[in-house]
Amino acid sequence: MSAAAADEGAPPRLVHHALLYGSDGEFLSATEPFCREGLAAGDRVLAVTTAANIGLLRAALGGDADRVEFAEAADWYDAPGRALAAYDRYVDAHRNGHGRMRVIGEAAWHGRSAAEDAEWIRYESVLNAAFAGRPAWILCPYDERAVPGHIVADARRTHPELLTPGGDAEPSAAYVEPELFACEHDTLPLPPPPAHPLADFPFDGDLYFMRRAVRSALAPLGTSEERVGLLLLAVNEVVSNAVEHGGGHGRLVLWADGPVVVCDVTDPGQMKRLLPGYLPPPPMSARGHGLWVVRRLCELVQIRSGDQGTQIRLHMARG
Amino acid sequence: MRQIKDVRLGDHVCLTFAHETEQRAVAGAFVSDGLHRGERVMYFTDEPAPDGVLGWLADAGVDVAGATANGRLEVLTAAGSYLSPGRFDPDLMIALLRDTVGDSLAAGFTGLRVTGEMSWALREVPGGDMLEDYERRVTALFAEGDSAALCQYDTRLFPAPRLGELTVCHPGDVGMNALAEDDRLCVLPSYRPGGELVLRVQGMIDRDSAPAWRAVLEHAAGAGGDVWMDIGELEFIDVAGTRALARTAGLVGGAGHRVRVRHATPLLRRLLRLTGWDGAEGLSIEEDVRP
Repeated sequence: MSAAAADEGAPPRLVHHALLYGSDGEFLSATEPFCREGLAAGDRVLAVTTAANIGLLRAALGGDADRVEFAEAADWYDAPGRALAAYDRYVDAHRNGHGRMRVIGEAAWHGRSAAEDAEWIRYESVLNAAFAGRPAWILCPYDERAVPGHIVADARRTHPELLTPGGDAEPSAAYVEPELFACEHDTLPLPPPPAHPLADFPFDGDLYFMRRAVRSALAPLGTSEERVGLLLLAVNEVVSNAVEHGGGHGRLVLWADGPVVVCDVTDPGQMKRLLPGYLPPPPMSARGHGLWVVRRLCELVQIRSGDQGTQIRLHMARG
Repeated sequence: MRQIKDVRLGDHVCLTFAHETEQRAVAGAFVSDGLHRGERVMYFTDEPAPDGVLGWLADAGVDVAGATANGRLEVLTAAGSYLSPGRFDPDLMIALLRDTVGDSLAAGFTGLRVTGEMSWALREVPGGDMLEDYERRVTALFAEGDSAALCQYDTRLFPAPRLGELTVCHPGDVGMNALAEDDRLCVLPSYRPGGELVLRVQGMIDRDSAPAWRAVLEHAAGAGGDVWMDIGELEFIDVAGTRALARTAGLVGGAGHRVRVRHATPLLRRLLRLTGWDGAEGLSIEEDVRP
């Protein structure tokens, strides 16, 4: 019946289900057996969801709740790159002694900007590539009462299978492979920088000059030295890539947006990499880690690339 | 601290070292640079005979046989130089040096280079306590521009207070030549008493200095022992540079040794953690505080 049973003896693979639910009962009718079957099979079970759903699930599981690890979505899903890294570490840390990882992963979809939503939707798609071949079963509940319709629609595109509230999995007809997946926002230009940014200058191969200019542009913000260092590192990696692959020069624009510093790096080259920076380079690779690290350092990374060139926008907390 | 390759006639510099590898690298470069420049070179060793010095100079590639045969290089013992009157007399020594400078110029040399192992001053030698006085006064002779001196002090032998008093008698101190030196990155090697390589890294490691950094790491991986990497003066290191450091530590670790990184910034520690590179087999991030 379950995907776990069907996988008996097979090489590890990722199972990634969306659960579209419309009531507390529907939520529990899928998640409770998911947890119980996992515990019975010796799987490690992690539930990242809303405080309300944690309460529901704990009550339903009774004494077994103590064998499930719970985490609040708001803490876990702070930035797409970091959430990927957190799951990555979790799977690695618990791979010994457990058949596989079972995760209930319900992201917090309210209180985010459209740009953030777009990157979180993409994150759901990227999971399919990032955890392919890993012994993990990830179940992503979407509360149709609260989550906007377009995000629920995208869940059908980012999950290979849908779990019905009855517990059966069916292929999602709308599923798109992560390499081909693009949010509709991707073709839209990013909002333009403000008229008076903190910095706006062309760069070439002189990275020291670039970093010095960024550092002095940040000075009026009173950002801590460690934060400045993080930002300089992230910007340095993106500009290094632009110099290396983007024709050797480009333009950098930097501004503050509320609690966030935003940095645009544009260059005339077209980015050919699929899923840029989402997957770690091969273990023995000496190069190509820059964007992978940048995604872990930044709150949000937006990439637009086409014939006209590449634009990478970094968002990083100021404090 | 200056590099030995930058020492010229007119200089009076001291070397404090903790291991023969460093002493020989610096003194050997001093000797061969002088020979190359047409200067007369005199080496005062504290060993009982000059053979040892001549041996390692030859191993380091100095044409010892040719240079000693025509008087361009001379190795004397402390007993035959500083202490030839049976005691140490600063006035006599300075006068002797002045005469030798004159003789050297008259013989067609471009100048005179002298270097001395100073540990004889720690023995019960009459006048040994006059060494500070000598070091201070002899500077004027070298400053005339026709001669240069490198005074070698072994930190394992000299008590720290005495060493401090002696080093300040010199206008400057020197160390080994940099492993990497470009506009943005300078890496100065030295050795610990146990013979471990120490690399003092100054400047920036980014795409521009990546080739120099790779060369440094290759040297570290080939050192054949623990490597101490002091990055207290490193202003910036990018992701590729950090990755290369961790990989080198992995190689060193595979050979049973460690790369010990001192004075790492919180940012570098964080980068190593979030990439998982802090798990490299031979990598130790020391807990000392950045100066």
